[in-house]
Amino acid sequence: MGDILILVESKGGGLEKMTLELIRGAEGLAKELSTGVSAVVVGADTAPLAESAAAYGLNKVYRLEHTLLQGFQPDAWVGALEWLCKEVSPGIFLISHSFVGREVAPRLAYRLNTEATTDCIGLRIDPADKGLIRTKPIYGGNAVAIVKTEGIPQIVTVRKGIFEPAEPAATRSEVVSMAPPLDESLLRVKSLKTVEQEVVELDKANVVIAGGRGIAEKEDFEVLTDFAKALSKTHGRVLIGCSRPVVDKGWMSSDHQVGLTGSMISPDAYVAIGISGAVQHLVGMIRSKKIIAINTDLGCNMFKVADYGVVGDYKEILPALIKKLEE
Amino acid sequence: MGPERELFWKIGPGWLFYALAALAVGLLLVGTAAHLQLWMKSSLKGKVAFSREALKQTLSDVFLGLRVLKGEVAAGIMHALIFWGFLVLTIGTAILLVHEHLSSFLVGTSHLAFEVAMEIGGLILLGGILWALVRRYVQRVPRLERRLEDALVPLWLLVVVGSGFILEGIRLASQKPEWANWSFVGAWAAGFISPGIAESSYPYLWWGHALLSLGFVAVIPFTKLFHILGAPAAYYLHHSSEVSIKASLFSRDLAQAPVNEDEVAPETGEAALDFAETPLNLADIAFYDACMRCGRCVQVCPSAGAGEAFAPRDFIQATIRALWKEHSRVGDIRLFTKDQVIDPKVPWHCTTCAACLEVCPVYGAAFEAVSKKRTTLILEGTGVPDLMNQTLERLFNYENPWVSSKREKAAWTKDLDIPALTKDGKEVDFCYFVGCTTSIDARTQAIAKSFSSILKHAGVSFGVLGEKEPCCGDIARVVGEVGLFEEKKMNCLDLFSRYDIKEVVTSSPHCFHAFLNEYPEKNFGVRHYSLVLKELIGQGRIRFKTNGKRTAVTYHDPCYLGRHNRIFEEPREVIRSIPGIQLVEMDHHGADSLCCGAGGGRMWQGKELDGEARMSEIRVREARATGAELLITACPLCLIMLEDALKTLGFEKELRAMDLNELVLSSLELAGNNLM
Amino acid sequence: MKEPKIIVCAKQIPDPEAPFSNVSVNVEKKEVVVDAPDVISPYDENALEAAIRIKEEVGGKITVLSMGRKVSDTVLRKTVAAGADALILLEDAAFERLDSRSIAFVLSSAIKKIGEYDLILTGRQAGDWDSGQVGLILAELLGIPSISLARSIKIKDDSVVVEKLVPVGYEVVEAELPALVTVSNEVGELRYVARTKMMALLRRPISIPKWGTKQLELSVEALNPVQLMELCPPPDMRRECVFIEGASSDEKAGKLAAVFKELR
Repeated sequence: MGDILILVESKGGGLEKMTLELIRGAEGLAKELSTGVSAVVVGADTAPLAESAAAYGLNKVYRLEHTLLQGFQPDAWVGALEWLCKEVSPGIFLISHSFVGREVAPRLAYRLNTEATTDCIGLRIDPADKGLIRTKPIYGGNAVAIVKTEGIPQIVTVRKGIFEPAEPAATRSEVVSMAPPLDESLLRVKSLKTVEQEVVELDKANVVIAGGRGIAEKEDFEVLTDFAKALSKTHGRVLIGCSRPVVDKGWMSSDHQVGLTGSMISPDAYVAIGISGAVQHLVGMIRSKKIIAINTDLGCNMFKVADYGVVGDYKEILPALIKKLEE
Repeated sequence: MGPERELFWKIGPGWLFYALAALAVGLLLVGTAAHLQLWMKSSLKGKVAFSREALKQTLSDVFLGLRVLKGEVAAGIMHALIFWGFLVLTIGTAILLVHEHLSSFLVGTSHLAFEVAMEIGGLILLGGILWALVRRYVQRVPRLERRLEDALVPLWLLVVVGSGFILEGIRLASQKPEWANWSFVGAWAAGFISPGIAESSYPYLWWGHALLSLGFVAVIPFTKLFHILGAPAAYYLHHSSEVSIKASLFSRDLAQAPVNEDEVAPETGEAALDFAETPLNLADIAFYDACMRCGRCVQVCPSAGAGEAFAPRDFIQATIRALWKEHSRVGDIRLFTKDQVIDPKVPWHCTTCAACLEVCPVYGAAFEAVSKKRTTLILEGTGVPDLMNQTLERLFNYENPWVSSKREKAAWTKDLDIPALTKDGKEVDFCYFVGCTTSIDARTQAIAKSFSSILKHAGVSFGVLGEKEPCCGDIARVVGEVGLFEEKKMNCLDLFSRYDIKEVVTSSPHCFHAFLNEYPEKNFGVRHYSLVLKELIGQGRIRFKTNGKRTAVTYHDPCYLGRHNRIFEEPREVIRSIPGIQLVEMDHHGADSLCCGAGGGRMWQGKELDGEARMSEIRVREARATGAELLITACPLCLIMLEDALKTLGFEKELRAMDLNELVLSSLELAGNNLM
Repeated sequence: MKEPKIIVCAKQIPDPEAPFSNVSVNVEKKEVVVDAPDVISPYDENALEAAIRIKEEVGGKITVLSMGRKVSDTVLRKTVAAGADALILLEDAAFERLDSRSIAFVLSSAIKKIGEYDLILTGRQAGDWDSGQVGLILAELLGIPSISLARSIKIKDDSVVVEKLVPVGYEVVEAELPALVTVSNEVGELRYVARTKMMALLRRPISIPKWGTKQLELSVEALNPVQLMELCPPPDMRRECVFIEGASSDEKAGKLAAVFKELR
């Protein structure tokens, strides 16, 4: 059986955290199958990223390089990956359930005559036929399906935060350059321009401090911001989130919203301040590693899913907490 | 020659005056015809029936002016002065014409009486106009607008009256009749005028006065003066259409809308549907058209009061403007009007609290105009706010506007042993129709629980529909989704007849109102629970414990109990009958009560429409000012809104919101009753 | 510019907005039991709205395609009431719980049977399985360009210009027609469809073609169901909450600060 292949994605010139998680996930599966893990880096200039990936003790790192692979043009990426899979015949192809993965996986699977499973939260090997068993939440998280599909490679996209990120290994990986035969005619969708918008990427935060209906006034979010500032000195990236009522009030833009209709996040810590915990909100933050709730109502739902709870008024607790953190 | 007046003294030719008068009257008629044509074209076809009773009420409204006087004595007197002054002068002028051309009866004493009456009429009018100008431009009464038209109309009238007096003065100065002093104002004016100047200037002034007066008549249909004709018409239409065309009726028309056979799509055989465009009836248009922007509705509108982007007056003005542009062949004939840009969100502000109707001098129900606009928006589909869209979908799918399923409607009855009429088939006094909010919302479930406890205490047999309880559909109705309302209504009627329900008691004034007024086909009786409580107390079936402690409470009138259905006293009588409870009133109570902000579908609109203050917060501030410990209400929506506002403002410790049932239950003579 | 022929693929699913208490899992039957009425998948409604707006701007004709084991025309007539011109139901016992490839395959067969088309719109993902695959595979099957996650769609001459959501904002892209676009909720909710419109529509006999494997000349063997091994209820979300006690806010804040230090 071929290697397990993973698609490398970059962020700010380095490796995207989700890619490191994929490496860790692939390692586990590879052990069961007694096979290796390889990675593919796609782009117009793949050297730096391939170098970074090579540090993780992979079997091979393929550099799929072509001028048409500049940026993310789905048509070119799918074409190149299709070619690579036919060249190196991976047994399993793991892709992050990212912006890129969502688009690439279904199309690639079709072209390789297989069926992808998207947004998986669990992967294991079927001992009987060595197939990949995928766990996937359905019906908005109200049920969990366990499915298999036919065809090689077995292609899945994996939800963020399912595996711990991999650590660099002692051995360096072999880097293999591959030149996919691409030409302009592949590109059926032309990019005219990209408009950057200022968005709060809550999913990139280490800690999210979120306020809800219990926040009395818009100005009180300043206390949350002060708290975030104090915490960011020691806890990495701390961002402000909120529940839907805050957006409805017009106090915050919708990119701050956590929940079913906002961001689905899993930060290291989620601090819920004055959020009672409607189910629609809980599904968005329940996978946070630690949940800390501050609320005046002991009976509220949020305390049921929290690791730590403080019953009290945020107006008193937060300023005191900021002082303690700065000590 | 005895006392008499020569009509065309020094004036000639008389025919010119009559030609001009004919022109003025012609313009008046043409303009009025344009208004009538607009009314006919933009309303549903319907006959205006003659009704002696309606005519009587109309005449009393017109001549007593009580609608104008109501709640605004200063404005009422001002209006009465202008009205009577104008009327006396108009009739006087008509009499003069009769005297001149038909029979010369104004001779001698009758002429003197006539002169005195005209003097008084003129003075009254003068006083009224000056007062009107003072109110608008000196006192600057906030509800009054100050557009160009608002200055021109009274100034014009002022000049007409003033020139009339001066003219008279001139005439008297030059004619010097011995009876001059009967025309006391004119005679006084004559004292300032030398006879020579008087005689030479008289014809000019006479023509000036004549032209201004005739002009004034001519512009009536083209200015806000149209209310002189529009308001009486609106009164009559209001009184004669006792049962106005309700949602249920026009929704059926829409469902059976004719199909345009030319537009059958070839592929599907599907035909384009041709929906009637207007749900308006004649009384609506008459009101819109008679509105002269007095702004009383704006003054009492809770939405406008909370600083929201809504004012009933502006909405009505924009509506009539749009109707003119759409339905009148010649466009808007009114001078001084222009297009108003109305934000698409505007119609979604109104809570349908009916405060505007309470104060409108022409019985204008601006909230109904809003509901009708919503009907159009719902049919178009694109102007429906997302939250409302979702609420209506839920109402359709789950029989309630909340994020909850129908089977949770019976959750509150758990462990309470309340008979379900759908299962037990028991003979009961009435069916307690709990309502969506009361059965689902955790806080308001207390209304249902306490009401059933009271009923048990009083030995009343009742049952509920439990999981089968449908939605009465009132939310759909007030947001203009008349088709959905119709479906819900049929659903309710079916269910009630299936379980042979003859008496219904509701928790919510909204369900109560819908059943009572919007279900014309019903064959069951309906009461709000407050009426039942009052009755039980009257029958001595509710025993209160004696209570040494005095508690001050205040009562918030739910709009659909109070203003819409005139149940002001019964809940208060219930409160007053409880020992130790002292009722103190808020500034706004009874018919002037302030809405909590939940009506008209606002409960489910989120906060995106809120203004500087929330309506509920304004209300609880007023409640707190009474010094009462308890804020009692009789509606689940009010209870949620008021309690939420108390929490937001941090008043919870000093003032608690409570349902009337909770108050009664806590005062009952029950073993272990220590709820208070 | 010619008036585009637009095909919207709309899936009928149990209301994904149903109250949580209405959703349960039958482990034995491997079924999600939703005690809620069926609706059109929300993103597909967004796709329909996008189509109607295009029609309002440049004209055209909208055909809605919906497939399933049993498709209800009372649910799907909403599309016609909202502004679609034709509705075709793909209904067959063999269409139950198919995998994404097979669904796309059936849709592509139906679209080939319809013949002419300029633009195909689908929701970005279905509200039940949230896979987000069918649209993209359908474009592959038909050999036409695909654009995903549209937040705005315009027809310009013979091409479609789409604002496509990307992580940093949005990208404006263009493809020649015919093309397929998957639509995100940023396009806007489907306009409200008044009950009077629905009722009037239901009262009228309207011809809604129903195509099954026979009409589409498909062999049942070519269709693969999802290989569902197990279906489980969702994991319990409850955690053991350690309450931070203290006589004063200051004391609580002190203890809470210690928790944060530990987290680092």
